[in-house]
Amino acid sequence: MERISAHQFVMLGAAVLMGTTFFPVAQVALGVGGRDGWMAVLPAYGLALPLGLMILALAREYPGQNLIKISETVLGKWTAKGIGLVYLIVSIYFGALLLAQVEDTFKRSVLQLTPHVVFIGAMLFLVGALAWTGIEVFGRFAEVVFPLIILGLIANMVLTLPRFEWEEFFPVFGEGIKPILFAVLKLAPYACEYALFVAGVIAYLPQGGQDQTQLRTGVWRAVIIVGTVNALLTLTELLVFGPAEAKRLNYGLLSLGKLVEIEKTISGVESLFLLIWMGGMIIKVGAFYFMGMWGLQAVFGVQDHVKWYLLLAGVFFVIGLFFQNGVELVQELSVTDDYLILPLAILWIPLVWGIVRWRRRGKAG
Amino acid sequence: MRSWTRMLKELTSRPHTRQIRKVPPLPVDSELPKPLSPKLMHSLLGESTDIIFREFSLRGQEEIPCTLVAVDGLIDKLILDSFILRVLMVDFAGEKELEQMTVDNALKTVYKFLAPAIELKIINKTGDAVDAVLSGDALLFLGDTGEALIIGSRGWANRGVAEPETESVVRGPREGFSETLRTSTSLLRRKIKHPSLRMKSLKIGELTKTDIVVTYIEGLAKPDIVQEVMRRLGRIKIDGILESAYIEEMIEDVPYTPFPQVRHTERPDVLAAALLEGKVGIMVDGTPIALIVPAVLAQFLQVSEDYYEKAVIVILVRFIRYVGAAAALLAPSIYIAVATYHQEIIPTTLALSIAAGRSGVPVTALLEAILMTLALEIVQEAGLRLPKPIGQTIGIVGAIVIGDAAVKASLVSPQMVIIVALTAIATYSIAYYDLAIALRLIRFPLMLLAGTLGFFGIGLGLYGLLIHLLSLRSFGHPYLSPVAPLRIRTLLQDTFVRAPWWALKRRPQIADVDEPRGGGQ
Repeated sequence: MERISAHQFVMLGAAVLMGTTFFPVAQVALGVGGRDGWMAVLPAYGLALPLGLMILALAREYPGQNLIKISETVLGKWTAKGIGLVYLIVSIYFGALLLAQVEDTFKRSVLQLTPHVVFIGAMLFLVGALAWTGIEVFGRFAEVVFPLIILGLIANMVLTLPRFEWEEFFPVFGEGIKPILFAVLKLAPYACEYALFVAGVIAYLPQGGQDQTQLRTGVWRAVIIVGTVNALLTLTELLVFGPAEAKRLNYGLLSLGKLVEIEKTISGVESLFLLIWMGGMIIKVGAFYFMGMWGLQAVFGVQDHVKWYLLLAGVFFVIGLFFQNGVELVQELSVTDDYLILPLAILWIPLVWGIVRWRRRGKAG
Repeated sequence: MRSWTRMLKELTSRPHTRQIRKVPPLPVDSELPKPLSPKLMHSLLGESTDIIFREFSLRGQEEIPCTLVAVDGLIDKLILDSFILRVLMVDFAGEKELEQMTVDNALKTVYKFLAPAIELKIINKTGDAVDAVLSGDALLFLGDTGEALIIGSRGWANRGVAEPETESVVRGPREGFSETLRTSTSLLRRKIKHPSLRMKSLKIGELTKTDIVVTYIEGLAKPDIVQEVMRRLGRIKIDGILESAYIEEMIEDVPYTPFPQVRHTERPDVLAAALLEGKVGIMVDGTPIALIVPAVLAQFLQVSEDYYEKAVIVILVRFIRYVGAAAALLAPSIYIAVATYHQEIIPTTLALSIAAGRSGVPVTALLEAILMTLALEIVQEAGLRLPKPIGQTIGIVGAIVIGDAAVKASLVSPQMVIIVALTAIATYSIAYYDLAIALRLIRFPLMLLAGTLGFFGIGLGLYGLLIHLLSLRSFGHPYLSPVAPLRIRTLLQDTFVRAPWWALKRRPQIADVDEPRGGGQ
């Protein structure tokens, strides 16, 4: 069985946690939390910590198994199959929606006349190739691409510094703390997406004692890096556009890229930044593609065969093509996040972890 | 339709009328006739005119018939004349050993007392005898006892130790491997004077019986990799090995990739440095090119001189090389994408200049770039195979005369000529020829993607390339190491930059050896 190193887990986890969230994060945070919405970002990503650590604790108890398989032991075969089916459906549906979002991003910004099918087909080809090469190559892909994404985001933020309007920052806590808490709740599904990925990838993690410490530290690192960068990004959009304008922009980061000018020579570099962010999109869609495969394997017991990869790609393709309206797509992503991913993650993971812990205490007592 | 299928059936079912000829495989020793004798050697080798059968007698022992068998051109005649024939036929007379000599002990007596040569061996197997003679050794029969004496007398015309043309350096050793395997191994042995340097010999090629030496440093090279090299070499079934490229293609992990997965070198210092890093070398008789495994992508952008210059200078040189590689791969694609889709990212004056340059050009930027790059490839290929002075003329005519005329005739834009020239120069900054060719090949699909989808297309191509590179391995070692999987020490010390020698305290992580480079100092 393939294995990924502790470092690859950190990078892969961080890349999945970041994924494409840098596009909507500012709009959601500032839209719900108002001017102080940027403060909600880090705590919202912080939800990934308890969920991630619970899953790692379960992985220690049941090495080499993913959470669906562990659930079979803990909750019984048919309950686990039911949860696995929900996991499978959520993964495929949300992954396909993200694929459609990639298409929407490129179509809006740089290639307005190119047909939808080209974007979706091309991205799916890359994602399928990445999935076919295995989780180890996926981990290495994240190791290369994630630092580039972070550098790209930092560059974008730094290069827009001349356009900062510092008065947009004030007043702090002008609307109290309540909107920030609502924003945390609204952003929480991003952490849950990560948790559901970790629920699947634990089957490939190293088992050594030293590795366990590194894995736990890895979850912390991923949350802190991604939470901080996205909080700074939200702050940047706040300072450049102001809260009212920022919550109107579906893809604020692209608008931010349009404002970048280097030495009065290169300007409007959002197409160049898109090249880097494309890597993040591949990782996020790839993660859900993998989750779909793990779901298929766990629920229906299918083997690692090219026909299942093609079938899954076909389903992604059809769903992805269905959503061609950007606003409709954003709403659908939000609904899936709020009503499927969030409940699945915060009910399933603590439940399995709680039962395992309770049983162990019972045995010890 | 039916007639076509019938014709096809007839063609495929037609019995073979040609006589298939096959070279009989060399029989294994147990299948050869016994006992070993001059007559048997004559029957096996005698029809070739370059085989020498010199019959003579020992002076004072005329009843013992002697035969010397050797291949003309492969032996050092001076050794045989002065130290074998002269001793046995002239100087040997009157010695006390001669009086005690009989047909039965003649060979042992010569071996012990009378043949002043280093490489001597008594054999009784016909296969060994044939191998020895065809490899350049001489075979001496004394009587018909079923035994013979192999005399190490190899010596043939070779070009000696010369400076390698493809890996020339400003600072560093000037010697290169030669076509003679033993000369090459001696050059390596001179670099690493330690008993841990291992050289394992084997022969590959049913007909050529090419000598191969697998070399590594015991304790530094991973035993798994050494075993894997021996396993892969052992399973090669081919009639002849004429160059190490044959072996390279047959032992690499993924055959269908343009990227080199085995490094090769003509320089003993490069091979020695690789062995000191825990790698394994493969040397092949008949070629000065030695192979090094495992290989990672970053090493194809490094040259031996990187380790002979000051570290600060090397950082700059390597940076230039990486930029050159990126330009060689991407310059035409970026130009196409900007000229076709993303004019907004360049200043207005430059955009206007490009538009003015392209006015009157009858083809799209994509087609223009492909045609120009193709023309460049043709000029390069034409110049490569011709004698040097003519090759230079081709380059001048191709690049300057045709380029200038094409711009004046409005067939191409001046900007495109600049881009293509820049790309060509950038390609030469890549130290390793095989990698340069791979990048030249990949440039074309990237241009197509840029021409159809702009930066999105370039992104698709680059991420596709990245996935491909990440999936490659060289003898089990990830091709993009130390970037992915991350090996932080190697990455910081000797990948994009090189740390000074005093800071390179540990070996690269590929060796998995904790011993410091300084031997614990």
